[in-house]
Amino acid sequence: MENILPEPLTKKLGDRLRGVVGDAWVIADADRLLAYESDGLTAYRKTPLAVVLPRDTDEVSRVMGILAEEDVPVVPRGAGTGLSGGALANGDAVIVGTARMTDMLELDPDNRLARVQPGMINADLTKAAEPYGLYYAPDPSSQSACTLGGNVAENSGGPHCLKYGVTSRYVTGLTVVTPEGKIIELGGFGREPGGYDLLGLFVGSEGCFGIATEIEVRLLPKPEGVKTLLAIFDRLGDAGAAVTEIMAEGLLPAALEIIDGPTIRAVEASVFAAGFPTDAEAALVIEFDGIEAGLASDVERAVVQCRAAGAREVRIADSEEERLALWRGRKKAFGAMGQIGNDLMVQDGTVPRSKLTEVLARISEIGVRHDLTIANVFHAGDGNLHPNLIFDRSDADELRRVELASTEIMAVCVEAGGTITGEHGVGLDKRRYMSLVHTPDELDAMRDVKAVFDPRGRMNPGKVLPDLPDSAGAAV
Amino acid sequence: MPCVHCGFCLPACPTYVRLGDENDSPRGRLYLMQAVVEGRLSPESDAFQTHIDRCLGCRACEPVCPSGVEYGVLLEAARETVYRARKAPAVVAMLLAVFSSRALTNWSMRVARVVRALGLGGLVARRIPRNRLFHPIRFGLAMLEASRERQFGSETATSSGAPIASDGGALDAATSEGETSESAPAWRAGERGRVAILRGCVQAGLFARVNDATERVLRANGYEVIEVSGQGCCGALHTHAGDSMRARKLARANVKALAAAEVDFVAVNAAGCGAALKEYGHLLEADEEYRHTAEALAASTRDISELLAGDSLRVGAPLPVRVTYDAACHLCHAQGVRQEPLAVLGAIPQLVVLPLQDAEECCGGAGTYGITHPELGGDIGADKVSAVLATGAEIVATGNPGCMMQIGAGLLLEGSDVVARHPVELLDESYRRAGFYDGS
Repeated sequence: MENILPEPLTKKLGDRLRGVVGDAWVIADADRLLAYESDGLTAYRKTPLAVVLPRDTDEVSRVMGILAEEDVPVVPRGAGTGLSGGALANGDAVIVGTARMTDMLELDPDNRLARVQPGMINADLTKAAEPYGLYYAPDPSSQSACTLGGNVAENSGGPHCLKYGVTSRYVTGLTVVTPEGKIIELGGFGREPGGYDLLGLFVGSEGCFGIATEIEVRLLPKPEGVKTLLAIFDRLGDAGAAVTEIMAEGLLPAALEIIDGPTIRAVEASVFAAGFPTDAEAALVIEFDGIEAGLASDVERAVVQCRAAGAREVRIADSEEERLALWRGRKKAFGAMGQIGNDLMVQDGTVPRSKLTEVLARISEIGVRHDLTIANVFHAGDGNLHPNLIFDRSDADELRRVELASTEIMAVCVEAGGTITGEHGVGLDKRRYMSLVHTPDELDAMRDVKAVFDPRGRMNPGKVLPDLPDSAGAAV
Repeated sequence: MPCVHCGFCLPACPTYVRLGDENDSPRGRLYLMQAVVEGRLSPESDAFQTHIDRCLGCRACEPVCPSGVEYGVLLEAARETVYRARKAPAVVAMLLAVFSSRALTNWSMRVARVVRALGLGGLVARRIPRNRLFHPIRFGLAMLEASRERQFGSETATSSGAPIASDGGALDAATSEGETSESAPAWRAGERGRVAILRGCVQAGLFARVNDATERVLRANGYEVIEVSGQGCCGALHTHAGDSMRARKLARANVKALAAAEVDFVAVNAAGCGAALKEYGHLLEADEEYRHTAEALAASTRDISELLAGDSLRVGAPLPVRVTYDAACHLCHAQGVRQEPLAVLGAIPQLVVLPLQDAEECCGGAGTYGITHPELGGDIGADKVSAVLATGAEIVATGNPGCMMQIGAGLLLEGSDVVARHPVELLDESYRRAGFYDGS
């Protein structure tokens, strides 16, 4: 995609923005904008016009009002950990970042609710709720760094969403600043409002409808018991088969994750080494939680299924420390890919669980054909695949092969009855695949909804929908 | 190892957490460094210099990096680039010059001790108005005052009626308690190996008592302590400021002096210096003459707590004080030494360790950071002081002279009686009370 050379921010606009947030929180010189070229997906790089870092709803509203008056496009950004290029801005767009909006506004343990600013880190919410025996369930693997605002935008999932569901299930209310700078309340505890469910529409809208500046979420009591298993396989396909069998058996694990051989070796080379055997070709991390009574029999049934599918070894984590180490290894796996390559493209697709083995074999074949290393680490229980395509940005041909392989992987997922994203969002990277899963009429319906919130198309332009021209008219 | 831009380092970075600018995060700084390497950004640019300067060098980003990016090494290279591209601020340039000359170091430490002995530092520090202009002088004097051996816990700690430690030496009354633990093994003198203590510059100049305590507790635990002359400043200050030329010169002098002593271990009681010594092999890797000896010296370097911790650590007499432990960045992040200092405190009966919120976050001392970044360094320091005060401890123990002075000065200016001590000082006091040093 074409990178628009940035015209410097006009003095007038810069001064107006600085007047709202303070001099230090408007970043507009070209050198300082470099660091905002990418989010978590470095295959795409674009330099924004400026970055503004407001502190609260009021400042966001005033900033958005000014940008509306000046007709400047806006791109929201949290921690920049997203993997679909959703926080990239063209040279004519201003990034409104939530990095300074990190406060806990209200923690209400009795009603199991929390109201937070969107820049709060996912894991910090659970940390704050822990003293009350509560936690926030959606746990994207980047939870130690990603923000709740970003989670709302992407409707994020995570390993434990197999049993507990994704972000939309936990968001009960939002304060939203519209593209024109108006402040509106969506949902909210105790006033299940009549009318259309705008809250439902907003969650997962990928920053295309407005900016959530306050987020109210539901917290859950911590489960009484947790048991975590590690099953080791010599063949990736066998691990896939075990997943299908465990779910077919009628079990509902809290999480059911596959880590393949290359990923195991990357993790074991990192500071988050968890003791996965490096000669294995796949490991399953299976977790059961809930009332203590009954956990043991669930574990026993899962062990039987793993062995039947060909597991060479099944371990049950003895201690909380061992359990946490397994999860650290699993959740830091993406970052650990730097151990085996310079750059990576994390793909995200879903398939029916019954097709896991077949699809994994086809992805492996795609990797071989394009001479690429593909490492798989994913939410197998959900059928949510994350093939990591390793490459080196300086090798143009390799980058081209990554593009080809990505497209083929998406096609395989769709053919198998799945879809083009499980949880990372469409963003910039996936809009070209949208027509694989949506009819023109469906895309039109989405466009109509977008126009209701953002009639001028200024809000995160060039994302999600395929054939709307982006803010600069450059098509992907 | 390459950065894959996952962003896991962002919440670990004290400057990003407070400022929210990607350029002030480890990921952003690596991006700037990469841009300089790619020729997209000038090393003379304000963006590069400001954001590289603004890094504390605490390396809290390293233990959270799944890709194993060696941020500390890359930062040093970036600092060297900045150092070459422009003149260092006057105060920093002066400090680097002073600490690269043994004569100047000795002279300035002597002056500092005189000022400290006169007791003017604390007095003046509290009277200088709180404003930006005077901040460096005010805080500098407070740091000097904080290096004084202040009495602590005069109420809780005096089961025998005497203060634990004071300049007046009122300790003798406390040594007769005879509550030596049964489990303490008495080592034969020197049976655990020969050790040289890195005396350091600031440590030798202002914290001679910590060096003395280090020597005594090592002897009490079966080490033979060798006096090694010809050693000096470790050069960490210079490495961190990008002045690698002087850093290497200082390192060579230390390698030469300490290698000649043929010791089993070099004990370091200053976290920053320990980290520097452990990285001498890297610093002098291009130096054919010194490389191997530097590597050997690095391999034999231990933080004092590493030499002490373990089943064999002798337990001293009770010291009924409430202590909180602050983990110096260059101990926990740079050296990975986390449990050992707590084990040292654990060998002191009746000493209670109270958990410190964000114990592994930088105190804002960071070498010359308090001088170069008074506001941000001040904010970070203030958070640490609040966390210490919230514990209700009467002593904050930390294993680095810079941190002792930074936190101590912050406490002093808050009007608090809480004092900063090295863990080894507390163990030493416990041993003294146990009578381990009687007749020696």
